[in-house]
Amino acid sequence: MSTAETAARSSTTGPPRSSISAGQRRRRFGRRSVTRRVPPVVWALLLVPLLVELAWVFWPAFNSFQLSFTKWSGVGVAEPVGLKNYRTLLYDPIFHTAITNNVIWIVAFGGLSVVIGLALAVALNKPRRGVGAYRSGIYLPMVFSLAVTGLFWRVLYQPDGPINAILAAIGIDTGQHQWLADPNTALAAILVAALWRQAGYIMVLYLAGLKGCDPTLEEAAAVDGASWSQRFRYIVFPQLRNVNTVIFAVTVIDSLRTFDIVWAMTRGGPYNSTQLLSTYMYQVGFTQVNLGYGSAIAVVIFLLAIAFIITYLVRATREE
Amino acid sequence: MNPAELPATTLSRRSLLLGGAALGGSFLLSGCIGGSQTPAASSAPSDTATTLTLQSSLSDPKPKAALDSIVKGYTKYPTTLNTVAIEQFRAQLPTYLTSANPPDVLTWYAGSVARDYASKGLLLDLSDMWTGDGACAKFSAPLKALSSDESGKQIFVPTSYYWWSIFYRKSAFEEWGVQPPTSWDEFMTLLDTLKGKGIAPLTNGTGSTPWMASGWFDYLDLRINGAAFHRDLLAGKHSFDSAEVRKVMDTYATLVPYFDPKGRSYSWQEAATPLVNKKAGMYLIGAFVTQAFPASAVKDVDFFSVPAIDPAIPSAEEAPTDGYFASAKSKNVTGAKDLLSYLASPAQQQAYIEGSGSSNLPTSPDVDSSKFSPLVLKGIKLLQETKEITQFFNRDSSDALQTTADTALTKFLDKPRDVAKILKDWQTAAQQVWNS
Amino acid sequence: MTTVTLAPATPAVAAGPRKPKRSWVFHAVMAPVTLLWVLPLAFVIMVAVRNFDDIASNGLGTWPKSFTLQAFRTAWVDGQLGGALRNSVVVTVCTVIAVLFLSSLAAFALSRYHIPAGRAILLLMLAGNLLPPQILLIPVAKICELIGIYDTLLALVVVQVGFGMGFFTFVLYGFMRSLPYEMFEAAKIDGAGDLRIYATIVLPLCRPALAALAALESTWVFNDLLWTLTVLRTDAKFPITASLLNLQGGYTTSWNVVAAGALIAAVPTTIVFFAFQRHFVSGLLVGANK
Repeated sequence: MSTAETAARSSTTGPPRSSISAGQRRRRFGRRSVTRRVPPVVWALLLVPLLVELAWVFWPAFNSFQLSFTKWSGVGVAEPVGLKNYRTLLYDPIFHTAITNNVIWIVAFGGLSVVIGLALAVALNKPRRGVGAYRSGIYLPMVFSLAVTGLFWRVLYQPDGPINAILAAIGIDTGQHQWLADPNTALAAILVAALWRQAGYIMVLYLAGLKGCDPTLEEAAAVDGASWSQRFRYIVFPQLRNVNTVIFAVTVIDSLRTFDIVWAMTRGGPYNSTQLLSTYMYQVGFTQVNLGYGSAIAVVIFLLAIAFIITYLVRATREE
Repeated sequence: MNPAELPATTLSRRSLLLGGAALGGSFLLSGCIGGSQTPAASSAPSDTATTLTLQSSLSDPKPKAALDSIVKGYTKYPTTLNTVAIEQFRAQLPTYLTSANPPDVLTWYAGSVARDYASKGLLLDLSDMWTGDGACAKFSAPLKALSSDESGKQIFVPTSYYWWSIFYRKSAFEEWGVQPPTSWDEFMTLLDTLKGKGIAPLTNGTGSTPWMASGWFDYLDLRINGAAFHRDLLAGKHSFDSAEVRKVMDTYATLVPYFDPKGRSYSWQEAATPLVNKKAGMYLIGAFVTQAFPASAVKDVDFFSVPAIDPAIPSAEEAPTDGYFASAKSKNVTGAKDLLSYLASPAQQQAYIEGSGSSNLPTSPDVDSSKFSPLVLKGIKLLQETKEITQFFNRDSSDALQTTADTALTKFLDKPRDVAKILKDWQTAAQQVWNS
Repeated sequence: MTTVTLAPATPAVAAGPRKPKRSWVFHAVMAPVTLLWVLPLAFVIMVAVRNFDDIASNGLGTWPKSFTLQAFRTAWVDGQLGGALRNSVVVTVCTVIAVLFLSSLAAFALSRYHIPAGRAILLLMLAGNLLPPQILLIPVAKICELIGIYDTLLALVVVQVGFGMGFFTFVLYGFMRSLPYEMFEAAKIDGAGDLRIYATIVLPLCRPALAALAALESTWVFNDLLWTLTVLRTDAKFPITASLLNLQGGYTTSWNVVAAGALIAAVPTTIVFFAFQRHFVSGLLVGANK
């Protein structure tokens, strides 16, 4: 009989305590969910992972941060140039395009992937004939890497490729539109490919969250006469709070780090109209081998990400 | 779920301070341990290893197989061949060369990159291979000049090169009843004739391989302004906003209506498909285009040089040269030079060209040319008779300048009327590259 | 409703008799949507079974005029995909075990003990995940060289572990927070030490979450390309993503071979998904019920 079983048993067969809500219990017994005294072994448990991350992520990041104040081509000595890189960034038209595109991307990719994923999860939640097949079909794109996805979608989007062919077959004549060569449609075209892949993943996360929702609450509300949208807004959605936090973190991280799919499809073209900060940074740092300037762009990406995540998360974790 | 009873603000302020201290501490730590970017002072070249590593960027199936069998035939030192796709190879090249245990021999091109790394002392001095009975001693003078760095030392071993020209299918021209042109006017007439027949007169893949747009730019510049001007332009001695470049762009603009519009979405390889199935007429491209043809159609391929526009300008062709260089920090210098001699030897050059199925030309004059296809023989003749040879935009200038050209030229192909602004922006971007 | 449910909730019972009309509408909408979703994959399969000359002559966007499995054979042999797959699996398994182990330790410490500046540390670790990996490439390569693990699979594992840790610590922290305190009390009364509590109580309870995160991380690590090319130089050590890249030449690309290679590379991640699907659905459950 393991300690876990003993513990589980004592918690469910105890006195009427179990009928009090967790919050009430905590208020009555004070801050006892965390142990005040921290044994040294626990410090070790925390420090080892923390040191690993500091060594492999923050130390190189600091190096890159230093690099952004220099001019360096990967070999020889890095020549310090002060804030020159940042000043150049300020007037760089490609950088401005990249930032605009990034904001559009975060909103469109992030927002739409969550909306579509949630819609699919809600639609496919109830067990029905064929629902497993639908779920698997929609998740399947995730098994390919982003680079491969980008590669093949580029082929799909060719003027005499399957997408134009299918659109023509259902009656929409696009005139063999060149989706990825037209600066007006290129970013949207990449967005479709990225959403195609990401939606299944978000759907699976929401499916997990929905499974944890209590169906009796929803039934009670239905009996009371609440409409479907009311039930969703007031009963189902609040129970998804935990999953939402995870999904928000995942979505922001994925949106800001999008690189492979854009790079594989357009390399940031046509003439820089689909540049994101990450692709521009790669182009500057590795194609043009101007690592100082590339590092400056990377620092901007990092600050943007920090601003986003920290404000939301500090608020979210404070609310708990 | 948070059992915190303390006021949230106190906790967060305290934790922020502590977090900041932790962050600052880690920064100090990393600073002390030293994120020095400079490599440790390198010791004199020595032979401490008995193996060799050849780092290759030739990931195409046939060239890779050809190089593989050539390396297997080299028995003097055990040699490992590593192949990394070209884009990543380029991104990792600084890391390879500055590593404490670098690859001994690397594939690359002649040109700005090699010279740049040589000036930083990262490449092995190979001058002794170019004198006496060294493997490269009999190579032509232009090749030697191409393989030298600014101080006159040789740091590169060229093993193959190819030419750029306007390629077409002989049987297609016969079907359409047209002949290869011998003058620029004839060329323009040919474009009109083909367009009238509903065929795309010119094809070009400027989608995912935007550097293809520089092919026409280079040639028009060579024909209108000459090779000397072109080299100086790429070295930053002329402005892209100058009248001479404007003349080039105006001529380019006359060609734009004749390009297959779908080429903006194609890679150079996908743009070869219309040429293969006779939906397009001509393609200004390197001889590597034959790799995109089905085996049965390769014999049907022919080319003609870009016709002269100004008879006063001496002839010039683009002939990018590929080869190898060696790392200065190699742990087996004798072995590296030996491997390079082996790779540069006539027998191995021939084996590579045959095995890779390319239309490349050998750099060694001792290779038996009787086995070459008529196409390749014609190419050799073209390069022998031309007065000037340049490489290609990026190899003559730098990768950084190439990206500015890609942006400017692809935009120009979409909007030829904005040429004035495009050239101005191009010069600004180029200025950035020169200043950085 | 107020007791903690540790088992997956029973699926909802359909309210009332299923109306045949609604079921028909559901399928009429979902079937074409799913079909549309799967079409690009069908396209990849179509390309993989053509031969090179067919593609060169007719372009990629046309119906196949040939059928051959030669591309798969070429990808496997010339692309050395067999060895690459082995490398990928080794790296993925080691990374997933290491990162989940270390993250669970950190999450345990942060969630169950009053660590000063605990929240700041957590956010700091998560911030590490926000860094664009591209800027870390060259410094990381240099560090690997300094330590002497450059060009080894160990370097790849260590780098992936370091980089993935923040996010997983964050997620596991959320779960461990929601575990009922009574268990810890009971265990402490029984005299269990902290490590024992971690190993015998917390870890088993987190198993569904760990399974879901394992599936997630294995997909990420398996499909990674950037770190691979940064720390590895010898192509015999390449995992499958880098080998796939090599199938695309600098001059010509045999699209059929690339497609075949992509399909082969997708097999392990597909297996992982279907194997872990059960956990996927119930895994994020612990903590969602309050």
